[in-house]
Amino acid sequence: MKFVCMKCESFMNFENVQTPGEQSLGVTFTCPTCASKVAMVTNPGETAMVQALGVKLGGREAPAAPMELTRESLKETPEVTEPAAPMAKAQQAMLQAETEKTASGEGGGCPFSSMVAQMGGMTANGESKSEPVALSWSEAAESRLESVPSFMRPMIKMGIESYAQKNNISVITPEVMDASKNDPGDIRWSKAAEARLENIPSFVRPMAKKEIERIAKERGETEITEAMMEESKEKFMGMGY
Amino acid sequence: MSSEKNLKTILKNIEYRDDAQVQKQIVDQLIDVKIRMGRIKRKIVVMSGKGGVGKSMTTANLALAFARAGHKVGVLDVDLNGPCIPKMLGVRGKFEITGDGAVPPTGPYGMKIASMEFFLKQEDTPVQWKGPMELSPVWLGLMEMNVIREFLADVLWGEIDYLFTDLPPGAAADKPPVIAGFIPELDGAVVVATPSEVTKAVVKKSIHYARGAGLPILGLIENMSGAICPECGTAVPLYEGGCTDLCAEMDVQLLGKIPFDRQLANACDRGEPLPDEHPVTKNFDAIALHLHEFLESKNKLEHL
Repeated sequence: MKFVCMKCESFMNFENVQTPGEQSLGVTFTCPTCASKVAMVTNPGETAMVQALGVKLGGREAPAAPMELTRESLKETPEVTEPAAPMAKAQQAMLQAETEKTASGEGGGCPFSSMVAQMGGMTANGESKSEPVALSWSEAAESRLESVPSFMRPMIKMGIESYAQKNNISVITPEVMDASKNDPGDIRWSKAAEARLENIPSFVRPMAKKEIERIAKERGETEITEAMMEESKEKFMGMGY
Repeated sequence: MSSEKNLKTILKNIEYRDDAQVQKQIVDQLIDVKIRMGRIKRKIVVMSGKGGVGKSMTTANLALAFARAGHKVGVLDVDLNGPCIPKMLGVRGKFEITGDGAVPPTGPYGMKIASMEFFLKQEDTPVQWKGPMELSPVWLGLMEMNVIREFLADVLWGEIDYLFTDLPPGAAADKPPVIAGFIPELDGAVVVATPSEVTKAVVKKSIHYARGAGLPILGLIENMSGAICPECGTAVPLYEGGCTDLCAEMDVQLLGKIPFDRQLANACDRGEPLPDEHPVTKNFDAIALHLHEFLESKNKLEHL
């Protein structure tokens, strides 16, 4: 699928894939000429269809693991014999590296490193947070997590666990998962901004919300105001607000 | 305004780039299948338009017959939702995932067996996919096709002489053309039918469909061709007539006839091959020998 910028008469370039909600993909395209952006948001059926292709949008950094699609798409994770769990190890190594970086003061500039470190129980400055809560997942929550496309699962899991740690919740249930989705983190929304957010069509709202929060975080803001939404208006022109 | 321009005119003047790399990955996936399948000397699918005619029994016993004759054999069970080849061949196990691919469990005579069954926790566990089932018409067919593609590309068959693929029932309209498109130099299909008029009518459709998709029909095996009395060993007909008329009409060679036999049914249920001296074993050995010689002569003719 390609998008054409009708103004510049050129194909738009694939930019990235985001996960605006459960069973949804947000694929962003940019016009190489005028830099306009378009985001395509998939419904659950379309998301499953993309996943069924066994491809990674934007390309793969490493070849697919043997029987990857089959193993990751079954509801009950199959038992296979394999030497190690490379993904888990890679995540641990990444977390360790980022934690070390932030502790040594090298990693503060990157919001992503900072986020990874914070999800692992460290502050962005590398200081340990309060004693971590021992977490467990209820069967229903685990099953719900399994329904998330595999490539998004680790990040979503980390986000939910981070929310649980922050709120001293020891058992993750579907209710906790819902609450974590709506958790604004350190960012607050003013009532007027919240009301304006409601004007955005529901299928793009989660993506718009995340993007505005991201902009606020980048700017070091702690509250999203109507004025800030006005500033972001151009970015979301046509989304209804 | 430029936005009012005809899209057809715009598309003529701009160059397409696969920057999301979807096409590239799909092409790579097909290349992987071709490379893996290219290492196998002969590839045969076992099909029938009708369910319950004994496709899996035929696949298992045909594979056993080829293995008994000294060929290196693999069996691929692509009946994703009703896999039964492992049970019929008495194979339990799971895939060993390595950097090079998935190592399949082995069965009698060292046959390599790949099946969806090896991904399921218990014998009665159904195949259930993640994803919104209420929207399954949108994605389930695509998912199953790509799972089959993974079985073809990722299983480490090694250097084998024959790969037998057991197709799911009622697959005339989708799976054979897909498999045929996936497998390079697919030798063809063995069709299984019973002498029932209802079965023959459906099987005829599947032969037409397979031929239309470019899949050669190697021959037909008539299953449930009479029954053997367990008391006196006398063969009695189960249906009136046989499949000879179907073979003549469709210009397909009749490879052999397999009677309904209680010992054969028990052997399949227990997952133990029939004894070598059993008449049904000898029937399958004769079919295997004929099929091998037929493919050898076909190969020679093609290389004249």
